[in-house]
Amino acid sequence: MIRGLSKIFGDVPVVDRVDLAVTAGEIVMVIGPSGAGKSTLLRCVNRIEIPSEGSVLLDGIDMAGEYRGGRLIPDGPIATARKRRRIGMVFQRFNLFAHLSALDNVAIGPRRVLGMKLTEARALAAEQLARVRMSEHAPKRPAQLSGGQQQRVAIARAMAMRPMLMLFDEPTSALDPELVGEVLEVIRALAQEGMTMLVVTHEMQFAREVGTRVLFMDGGRMLEDATPAAFFRQPKHPRAREFLSRLHAPVAAA
Amino acid sequence: MPDFDWGVVWYAAPYLAQGAVVTLEISICALALGTLVGLVCGLLSVSDMAVPKAIVRGYVYFVRGTPALVQIFLVYFALPRIGFELSPFASGVVALAFNSGGFISEIVRAGLQSIDAGQTEASLSIGMTNRQSVLFILLPQSLRRITPPLTNEVITLVKSSSLLSVISITELTRSAQLIIAERFTPFELYAELAVFYLVVISVLAWFSEFVEKKLA
Repeated sequence: MIRGLSKIFGDVPVVDRVDLAVTAGEIVMVIGPSGAGKSTLLRCVNRIEIPSEGSVLLDGIDMAGEYRGGRLIPDGPIATARKRRRIGMVFQRFNLFAHLSALDNVAIGPRRVLGMKLTEARALAAEQLARVRMSEHAPKRPAQLSGGQQQRVAIARAMAMRPMLMLFDEPTSALDPELVGEVLEVIRALAQEGMTMLVVTHEMQFAREVGTRVLFMDGGRMLEDATPAAFFRQPKHPRAREFLSRLHAPVAAA
Repeated sequence: MPDFDWGVVWYAAPYLAQGAVVTLEISICALALGTLVGLVCGLLSVSDMAVPKAIVRGYVYFVRGTPALVQIFLVYFALPRIGFELSPFASGVVALAFNSGGFISEIVRAGLQSIDAGQTEASLSIGMTNRQSVLFILLPQSLRRITPPLTNEVITLVKSSSLLSVISITELTRSAQLIIAERFTPFELYAELAVFYLVVISVLAWFSEFVEKKLA
């Protein structure tokens, strides 16, 4: 649940008073031209970016602090870190920990953040790697993996924390075209398991097939909120129409 | 070469070797202490604790802005006045550690800040605190980048230890000066002294290269 969320850099509102209520199990695809504020919106949800205004509530808990006597007492860094555990995030550039093997990239969260024993954490990590079909690459360093493989490990790393919400920030934008499929497939599988997620993507086909809801953003504003079927058939907002028509393969025709 | 007195070179060699041992002892002690100080200060300077950060900034400002020679005199003459009675050797170690700690702190800070911001974001996103992120993610990755500038600092430290001759520590340089005072052969002795420093520093540089490869 996002209420009146804004992020202002200098005097430019990159995210401008966005409201959004997501229920469990929804797969929300956020699309729009670059610079629309999609990534910033996502980064405000888990407070990697601190919102200028507005609030984010996860399961009724405010990500920014505690309400006491009707007033918001801001969280310290430790409480913020604790709240972030419940939100997984996958980045455009993977951001795997360069000095750790694929297995330890996934295990370090459970180990250091959840305080599991090393053997337990590694067992959990192995399980998560298997889900993204990366078991055979477990001992490799990120530099030895392809982009698609790295991104699958990154998804496993986020999932190992058993989040209640997953954020995907253009998970396939940095990938060679032939590697996009394997990552989308993993995300699709998570969707089928009922994971709640917010996905910023430029893969329209994917958004249409996997999303249960499509948000269109431009200039920091959320301009349209529709079902994928309705959105891709006939977007209501003129900017959305313009955006779709400028794409090379207009899925609206499909 | 005319008039080069090889006799005094051989005569001085064992004394210089003794001095070299003292130089190494002091350097190693100062390096260990300085690295500890530098590491802690470097970590503090990327933390979100305002007061320790400001103290570290002041410390680095002072170390960078004053000559090592002045720092050595300050430690040697000023510390006893405020109740710290130290032997010359200990004063030397403290002075050099104080000096190198400041520079190592900057090296560590630069190393940590050179790591891609995405690494920090990823570690925060799985619920790490800032401290965990620095200790488990940034620091291990910056070690390799820190090694070459750290080697420079070690070399500087060994050279700076020659300044300790002014507080009557018979390290390498003072060993040579004592013999010069006795035999009046400055050319031979300073040439020999240079060779001794070259050897000591080459060994250190070689060792550091080895460490760097290990960390690769």
